[in-house]
This record gives sequence, C-alpha cells and structure tokens, in this order.
Amino acid sequence: MIAFTDIVGMDLAKQALMLLAVDPSLGGVVIPSTVGSGKSTLARAFADILPEGTPFVELPLNVTEDRLIGGVDLEATLASGQRVVQHGVLSKAHKGVLYVDSLSLLDSSAVSHIMDAISRRAVIVEREGLSEVHPADFMLVGTYDPSDGEVRMGLLDRIGIIVPFTPVNDYRARKQIVNIVMGTRDEEDTQDELRMLRGLIEAAREQLHKVSMTNEQIKGLIQTAISLGVEGNRVDIFAIRAAIANAALNQRTEVDDEDLKLAMKLVLVPRATRMPEREPNPEEMAQEEPPPQDEQPQDEQPQDEAEEDNAPPDSTDADAEEEQKDEPDMIEELMMDAVETELPDNILNISLASKKKAKSGSRGEALNNKRGRFVRSQPGEIKSGKVALIPTLISAAPWQASRKAEQKKKGIKSTAALIIAKDDVKIKRFRDKSGTLFIFMVDASGSMALNRMRQAKGAVSSLLQNAYVHRDQVSLISFRGKHAQVLLPPSQSVDRAKRELDVLPTGGGTPLASALLTGWETAKQARTKGITQIMFVMITDGRGNIPLGAAYDPTITKAPKEDLEKEIEALALSIQSDGIASIVVDTQMNYLSRGEAPKLAQKLGGRYFYLPNAKAEQIVEAALS
Amino acid sequence: MTQTAKAAKKTTSAKASATKEAKAKAPAEEKVVTEVRKPAAKKKSALAFPFTSIVGQEEMKLSLILNIIDPRIGGVLVMGHRGTGKSTTVRALAEVLPFIPRVKGDIYNRTVEQYIEMEASGKGAPAIKPEDVKTELIPVPVVDLPLGATEDRVCGTIDIEKALTSGVKAFEPGLLAQSNRGFLYIDEVNLLDDHLVDVLLDVAASGKNVVEREGISIRHPARFVLVGSGNPEEGELRPQLLDRFGLHARIITINDVAKRVQIVKLRREYDEDPEAFMKKVTCDQQKLQKKIVAAQQLLPQVTMDDKVLTDIARLCMNLGIDGHRGELTITRTAHAYAAWEGDTQVTMKHVREIAGLCLRHRLRKDPLETVDAGEKIDRELAKVLGEAEAAA
Repeated sequence: MIAFTDIVGMDLAKQALMLLAVDPSLGGVVIPSTVGSGKSTLARAFADILPEGTPFVELPLNVTEDRLIGGVDLEATLASGQRVVQHGVLSKAHKGVLYVDSLSLLDSSAVSHIMDAISRRAVIVEREGLSEVHPADFMLVGTYDPSDGEVRMGLLDRIGIIVPFTPVNDYRARKQIVNIVMGTRDEEDTQDELRMLRGLIEAAREQLHKVSMTNEQIKGLIQTAISLGVEGNRVDIFAIRAAIANAALNQRTEVDDEDLKLAMKLVLVPRATRMPEREPNPEEMAQEEPPPQDEQPQDEQPQDEAEEDNAPPDSTDADAEEEQKDEPDMIEELMMDAVETELPDNILNISLASKKKAKSGSRGEALNNKRGRFVRSQPGEIKSGKVALIPTLISAAPWQASRKAEQKKKGIKSTAALIIAKDDVKIKRFRDKSGTLFIFMVDASGSMALNRMRQAKGAVSSLLQNAYVHRDQVSLISFRGKHAQVLLPPSQSVDRAKRELDVLPTGGGTPLASALLTGWETAKQARTKGITQIMFVMITDGRGNIPLGAAYDPTITKAPKEDLEKEIEALALSIQSDGIASIVVDTQMNYLSRGEAPKLAQKLGGRYFYLPNAKAEQIVEAALS
Repeated sequence: MTQTAKAAKKTTSAKASATKEAKAKAPAEEKVVTEVRKPAAKKKSALAFPFTSIVGQEEMKLSLILNIIDPRIGGVLVMGHRGTGKSTTVRALAEVLPFIPRVKGDIYNRTVEQYIEMEASGKGAPAIKPEDVKTELIPVPVVDLPLGATEDRVCGTIDIEKALTSGVKAFEPGLLAQSNRGFLYIDEVNLLDDHLVDVLLDVAASGKNVVEREGISIRHPARFVLVGSGNPEEGELRPQLLDRFGLHARIITINDVAKRVQIVKLRREYDEDPEAFMKKVTCDQQKLQKKIVAAQQLLPQVTMDDKVLTDIARLCMNLGIDGHRGELTITRTAHAYAAWEGDTQVTMKHVREIAGLCLRHRLRKDPLETVDAGEKIDRELAKVLGEAEAAA
C-alpha cells in the first residue's frame, strides 16, 4: 500500500484532497486523469490523512440498486422470520468517504441515487415494504478517465472540487513512483510524514472557524463564477469554503489572494462554460466547445458566411455580462490570472483526451437479472439475481401445512413461521431500458455550402422531434477541420441538441474517418451503459479528405486518396460488425457527385438518401424502421 | 379494531392473530392488532433551510404558495439550472404549510366525511356517526418520493413482515396514502422510471389509488399536489406527465452579484448554527403562514367577470392550446393569486402575472422553436389585452 505522502506529482489533486480533509462540507473531490497516472492510488491513500476510524467505502461499478441504497436482507429475513434491514453502500459511507473509481462509467440510476443522497445527506429507502431514512453524509471522491466519457453535470455540481485535468506525469515523477513501489523509501519516514500531515489537518480543522473573508473577496469569487458562465449558485459556497479551508491549512486567519486563486482553480474554472471575455458577444455559445485550433480551410472554399444568422442570442449570457463593469480591478486580474493559465489547456486537453481509444467493457447478458425495469418473476436461484419476494412467498404459502407436518414427522423443531423450499424461490426478470440512441454526425466542413447545411439541419430537426416523442437518446457529433467533435454526448435532451446545432460553425476539411471513429467510441460507451440499439445518422457528402492522424499530429494534413479510403473502409466494417445501423444522408450537389456517399452507405451496410430529394419524413421513417 | 382495518381485512384471506408483531418500528398504539400497519415513525423532520430566507426565485415561490392556497391548481413543475435552490425551496415548504384536520391517526389523512363514506359503504358495515369520529390537526403532509422507490412502496402492498411472521395478508399503505391531501414531491422528476410515472398519472387523474396485486384489493383516496423539479438538460419529461402539472415555474441562475452575496451569507449563517438561524426567522415564517391562511379564507369570496373569462379563453385559443386545461388552470390560479394579493375581484392584471406559469408547458412542443414560450405568451397576452381595451 502506497501512502499519501509517497505519491509524487498530482500536487493539485493532493492539495484538493487535503482541503476536503480540512472541510468535509466541500462535498468531495473529482480527479479526472489518464490511465496509469496514479489517481486511484492517490484516492485510496486519502484515508491516510483522515482521522482514524473514518469510514472509507469503495463503490463497485456494478453495484445494484438495493446494495446501493439498502433494503431487506432477504436471506437473514427468511432465516429469522423477522425483517432484517441491510444498509446500503451510501449509508455505510456516512461520516466518511465514498470512493468511486471510473466515475464516468457508473450507470445513470446509480448516479441519480448518489446525487439524491448528497442533497439530502441521507438515503431514503422506500422499497419492498421498507420505509426508512438512513443518514448518509459522506465525502465523495471520484476518479475517472475522460476518454471513458464524461461525468454527469448534475453530479459534478454537487461535488465541491474538480481537479483540473492533467494528462500525463512527467518522467521524473514517474521514476520516483517506481522507486517507491520498489520499496526504496523508508517506512519510518513515511509514517512520520503522515503523522505530521494528520496533525496539520487537525489543526486546520480547528482553525476553520477563525478564518475570515472580506465582502470584496466573496464578491470577487461570485463575479468570477458569473463571468465564467458557471451554472447555478451552489458553486459560490463551495468556492468560499475552499478558500477558507486553504487559509486554515496554512494557519492563517484571513483569506488571501493565493486562497482565492486556488478556489478559482479548483472550484470555478473546471465548471466554466465559456471563456471570460471583456466584450460581450452573443455568439459565445459556440465557445462551450473549443473551436479546432486550425481555422483555415484545407482545400475547400472559405466559408465566411458561416451560419451567423442562426445563432440565437442567449439571454442568460447577456444578463451575466451586464454586471461585469464595476468590479474591483484587483479581483479581475486575479481571476484572469487563474483562468488564463488553466482554462485553455484544460479544455483542450479534455477534448483531445476523449479522442483516444476508449475501452469497452461489455457487461453482457447478466444485465437481464440485475438492471432495468422489473417485468416479471420466474423460478431461479437466490444467487442468480434479485429475489422477487412476494411471488416467492405466494408460491410457498400453499405448502406450509404439509411442510410443517413433514417437519414434525421428522422431528425437526423449527421456529420459522414460514418454510421456504428452494423451488419456491422466484427471481426478478428485468427488461433493459428500450429506446434507441441516435448518433447524428453532421459534416460541417467547407464543402457543406450554406443552403445544404440548412437542409441538413431541417432533416436532423425532424429526427430530433421524433426522438423526443419516442424518448430516444440523441448524440451530436460534428466534423470539420482536423477532427470530429462530440457536441452533445448521449442524452435525452433534444433542447440541447437543437441549441448545439443552431450554433454549429462550418468550414475546413472533412475528417470523415475521425467522425466514424468518434461515433463508434460514443456508441461503445453507450453500450456499457446498457443502450443496445444504436443508429448512426450521417449527414455528409462523403468526401473525406483529412486522415485520422491529423487529430493528433499537427504536421499531418493530407494523405493519399487510397489511404483515406482504407481508413474509412476499416472503420466502417468494424462499425457494421458491431451491429450499429446506419443511414447516410447525402448532401452532395448532383453535378459534383462522384458517388462517395452511396459508397459510404454501402461500406457501413446502411441506407442511403439523397437529401435534396429526400423528405424529412422519409428519413425519419427509415430511421425508425 | 379500527374501521380502516376492517376495510383492509375484507380483502385478506387468513384470520388475524395477534402475534409477536410488536416490532420496534411500528408503534403498536392499540391493543388489538390492526391490519393496516402504521408507517414507521421515521421522518425526524431534519432542519430545512427556511422558506422566507430564500433569495430570489420568486416565480417558484409564488407557484408553490398558490398551490397551497388552492390545491386544485394541480401542482407545479420546477425546471431549471442546477444548484439554484429548487429542492431547497420545496423542502422548505413544509414549515410554512397550514394545518388540516383529519380523522385521528388515519393513515390516509381522510376528512371525517371521506372516512365515513369509505368505511361505511361496505355491505354489512355499521353506520358511523360523524360525532363519534375523533379528529386531530396535522400540518399539510409533504411526502418525498425518492427516485429509487419501488412501486410497492409507492402504492402500498402486502405487509411482508406480517406475511412472514404470521402468514397473514395485510395491506401496508404506501407513499400515495401518506400524501393524500398534501404535497407529493419528486426531485429529478424527469429521471423517474417510466413505470412509476404511469402509476402517478393514473392516480393523479382519478384521485384514487387502486391496489390490485398480490391478492390484495383496496382503494383509497390519493389526492395530492404534485410537485416536481429537475434540470431539463438531464432529460425531458414525458409529455403526458408534463400536462399533469398545473403550473410550470422556470428557474435560472441568479446573476446579480449583490443577491448572490446575500444568498451566500444567509447560507453560511445557517450552516454555522441552524437552530439559532431558525429562531431568528420564526417571525417571518409565521407571518407568511398567516398570510397564506388569510388568502385561503378569502378565496371563496373571490369572483371573476365573464369578460375576464372570455379574454382568458381567447388567449388560450390564440396560442393554440389543446383542451381546456389551460383555461381552467388560469382561472383557478388567477383566483388564488387575487386572494393572495388580498383582492376579491379577478382582473386581467392578475391573469397577466400568472399566465406564463399556467401556459408555458402547454404550448405545442416544437424542439426547434427558437422563440421562448414566455415571450410568445406575453405577445398574445398583449394582443388580447389590446383588443379588450380597444373594445372598451
């Protein structure tokens, strides 16, 4: 076991955890990082610096609902004839730490329960005849690899600190890690250091109430939150708590600039939805996702008239800007300082990281006995699924008299009121959430002239409307310039898809291969979350001209046509063999057509539509059939 | 044995036998074993941030208050940004709610009339005289429906414990029973499982909960004010459920620095010492409660001209709202709002204030509509008012 003090690098993450140890009301720490950065080791070592006896509960990813929030302990209940309540993982973490590795892979119902528990500081159990409240006031420590997908915003919002994403450790730090693992460090030193750290934290906890903060400082943090477009008011409190905790950790009684800067870095900046700008600009929505660094069209017509008129003015943003004028200069400088050093890198890193290949861990058939909607019960073994209590009881009921008589005959004395045999046991069958995930891949390259872009948007909107009615999920990927970009991860929010689509900029090359790869990754992530039916809707002329490598290596801009085709073919085959259905909506003008889009449809084994002819309804029909 | 118990017992097959059922959680308040289990005394009402100290978000606060004044408005859906105090506000509601009378210890919170009607309707049941029924005053119940609730706990089901210990089939009421004549609150309502949504829609439409499962057959009143909250970015609400809500309040991040500073200060003061904080605001809380009760009492006297009704109808027609729920909700809400303002006559001034709340979610949903629903309503409202003025 590697101790907290032995971990090298990730200084910001360590500091974040120390702040949390000082003030648990910060709610938690989320650490996004790449594989092998030691984030899980660090998170587990967090227990080292907490007061002794603090619970540390690790949440398994495949946790079932009843294990998470608690319920009737069936075996004990059946054995004793009395209702035995089993506390869930959430309430076991009460007054301690709940640790989740791979937070982004947690399924959405588990995330909802965690959110609920955090907001109530308790778990309400209303299940299977139980009605109880279990206290569950815990710190949540979560780590995840952004290439596995993002964590739901609703959850992040309830967690105080989000450590800025750090892609890789430098090699010196790694070397030292190896040294530690090899056991070259002195155990005694480690223990001493830990003891000191614990002492420091204890002292800081006592200091916490003595720290004061000026009005100007509070205002400054709030101002920063507003100009970064951070949603909600909850975050203000977290930022203040973080600043105070840091002051306490340094044994100060007043919050200073360093504390403010750290609070901005750990609490506000990671939630930024836009870059702070001195001049308000209604087009800011487009900045939510960073534009590709390279704005120049590759080999196509420049597209100056890119969809300016479609971007709606965003009222909340405009409101926010009004307040900007009269803030103290000092605070603004501080903020720009914190923001400029952190923000651009941070956002770009995340979006680049998600281009890396995602692992897909299929959980397979077991899903049917564990998750989804309870449909009916069927005979089965206790171990193989969730027991359907009532059907079990019902099937046992008629035999009670004869079984008791039999027991008496055999001379067995039993106090159980009910004798349940193995054959009585019924387990629940679940049905997976139905619904399809539509992944829209919209070609926003320079070759999509304005008119066709409008038509494409029209087609997408009809499909979105349909998806809304059927409660399907939608995801939106655009591709232009060097690589594709996930504008909207799978979600049921048609509103958001619409908004993203409205402000979609156009221009640049056509990274078709990158689009296929991104779509495939999104599909695979969705599969791990239990969505089985997936459909690609590609809106493109099919004329890919940017190789896959361009996304990673700025020196690659072109590739021979054969190579491009090979990439696309390989990807298309994999996608098809993964059981993903596709529709290609061709946006090519007739006289230019060289038949690329039909070829793409063929490679994907999907259906083909020619947009200028196709009616939106036809496409919808095809998508749904 | 209570009458309720008898009603439940009609459905049971086995005979009740007093057993070692005196469990720690279920207070056995009567000597005879009742068949309807009382819910465990569980809600140690944890201190909630006080309603009167919530800064801003007037739209949400008003819609909740209007629903207390007249529960027939049909509840409120609060949708908006994360971290803007949605659930805090709803949970704070409990403290300012007025009291209602119910039959003493009745798990369904029934009035004497409801009680007699239900208990005495069975064949062979003895008539009950109203004066024989004891009553008590309870605060309007606020029931929290957690996302992970199972259907059996929502609707009520067989009492498993009893089934296990004594082999008796007894009914254990669920959350719907507890929420009768009160508020049923669902946080993250847009994430609620579809099958629970179905149940809620059913019950909300009929005002009755009918349980026909696992050999139990019972029906009881379940008329509640449905309050839901959520963030639209996490998922959409099913249209049928959306339609059920009387009002739709929208809530966005407050971007006024001074207000936010105030929010932070109040919150920190509260966190520092919740009890002292509550003491400080007791007076405000009571004032609010009194004002609500006064509005409730004024409500029956509030009247509305036919002309106003015509204008409301025209507004709904111009907006292309299907069905009549729009007009109905506006009318009720405007009455409640007038009462809240201390007026006895509903005017278009009242209507203007609440029209957005009543209609926003009833406009035909077009995911690609760029015009905000609120603006559209305002525009039509201005038109209707303009016409009204021109005619006068």
